[in-house]
Amino acid sequence: MSGPLSENCVGTSRNSTAQTWTIRLFRQQPSRLISNPRLSTNFAMADIDVKLASWKLVEVGRLVLIRRGPFAGKLAAIVEIVDHRRVLVDGPSGEEQKTVPRHVLPLAHATLTPFTIPALPRAAGTGPVKKLWAKNEIDGKWAKSSFAQKTEKADRRKNLSDFERFKVLRLRKQARYEVQKSFAKVRATAAKS
Amino acid sequence: MSDATVGQTKQFGKGQRTVPHPAQKAMKWYPVDDESQPKKVRKTLRPTKLRESLQPGTVLILLAGRFRGKRVVLLKHLDQGVLLVTGPFKVNGVPIRRVNSRYVIATSKRLDISGVDSKTVEKISAADYFTKDKKAEKKSEEAFFKQGEKPQKKQVASARATDQKAIDQSILATVKKEEFLSSYLATTFSLRNGDKPHEMKW
Amino acid sequence: MTNEFITGRLTEYQVIGRHLPSEANPTPKLYRMRIFAPNTVVAKSRFWYFLAQLRKLKKANGEIVSLNVINEKRPLKVKNFGIWLRYDSRSGTHNMYKEFREMSRTEAVEALYQDMAARHRARFGSIHILKVVEVTDADSIRRPYIKQLLQKDLKFPLPHRSANPGKKLFAYSRPSTFA
Repeated sequence: MSGPLSENCVGTSRNSTAQTWTIRLFRQQPSRLISNPRLSTNFAMADIDVKLASWKLVEVGRLVLIRRGPFAGKLAAIVEIVDHRRVLVDGPSGEEQKTVPRHVLPLAHATLTPFTIPALPRAAGTGPVKKLWAKNEIDGKWAKSSFAQKTEKADRRKNLSDFERFKVLRLRKQARYEVQKSFAKVRATAAKS
Repeated sequence: MSDATVGQTKQFGKGQRTVPHPAQKAMKWYPVDDESQPKKVRKTLRPTKLRESLQPGTVLILLAGRFRGKRVVLLKHLDQGVLLVTGPFKVNGVPIRRVNSRYVIATSKRLDISGVDSKTVEKISAADYFTKDKKAEKKSEEAFFKQGEKPQKKQVASARATDQKAIDQSILATVKKEEFLSSYLATTFSLRNGDKPHEMKW
Repeated sequence: MTNEFITGRLTEYQVIGRHLPSEANPTPKLYRMRIFAPNTVVAKSRFWYFLAQLRKLKKANGEIVSLNVINEKRPLKVKNFGIWLRYDSRSGTHNMYKEFREMSRTEAVEALYQDMAARHRARFGSIHILKVVEVTDADSIRRPYIKQLLQKDLKFPLPHRSANPGKKLFAYSRPSTFA
């Protein structure tokens, strides 16, 4: 139960010559570092810069992508942590068809995104969440993310009509032809010299 | 006047009694079996209702028959669920043809066919337009047994050809206007690996 | 959101019953219980079971006056519940106190039954729920497994996860579990 929550300190007492070691690592991290003998000897030289792996954290205000269930593919913000497996989420998105009602979501059904709503108070109601959502321009930020763009592209490709599919086929062929042509030119000049 | 329903009045001694006509008399026995009632037909002849997507001008993909895989233009609904369809002939070699609406995929591409000569369409959609010639040409038994002789190549009636031209003329003009449309109609449709036709949008 | 037909196994009922009125006592005392049960039939049955243990009264000489569902007042708020219970193990009877962090009383009781089944192999019939109380004060939370969830600015990572879960049963490359 205490696994993901406990934090360990490493390497502070071992060398005083080092810079200030304020590494507070999660449990997975120190074991990996210490088990590596080369790294631990390097500690003595004390010039390396050990950086924290930037974990995305489950925290109030974290935006989460729902991967399963009726709201799969939609974005929601963590409003409160129920326990280590479940969170209370709310997704008052600006767009009507992308809203997620407030409900308990198992973390197994979610993917953490790099976005957060900073300073979201714990257990904030839908109204304040909506305000902060709009203020932080979450919808815009999400639309710019590579994941959203990829899914949007895949969606568009999937919903092409028969004629549009044919046009894509043709246009890709034309583009390929141009590329091959210029490539052949380069190849021809390279062979001469 | 001897009415069948009226009996005779007869004298029995002093009394007088009317004897009913034999046809009016009660039966001496009851029928053993119930009289079988003919089944009421509840079917009615209703005009065929075609899919919403099958509007005139729609580009269709034929799924069965000689021209399977071809993309054609829908001209008109004929009765009994049959669709009148044209290639156009010059683009993909499909003549004006009747097609079963079940063996067809309607795509979302729609052409404007308001310019098509309505008189010719009317003529073609007449009941015996496609069948009239066939009856006349029916081969005799003798011809079948004649060995060795090459059967005559089917002649296209010149009337059919002119009808085809008249219909296709305006369609070809609209097809020419849009890029890729002509080659789209010319290519046949086929499923590739991983294509799921039930999940595809048309 | 929480549709009781899909998620909720239990419902909280208020059952009120009394002794059958007689000439000696035309207005018998009413007894009220809050009972967690999957349906009304079980709720009434449990009511008589508990009442017979507490008073000299049974179904044969009593009647149910009213039975209604108690709904959660704020089902969208995370609450901490303390539950007192008594259960019969194979070797004796024990009293217990457990804490749960859930959205409603019924969900807490459901979690309790699951927990008791898992840790003690206790069945529904061998568990008596004595009291379900919402603990509003964080200081009066007794159990460390709930206390750890109440710290300020709680945050934790989700290490070792498959990036795209539920793709296929067999894969030709090991999934990346980092990030």
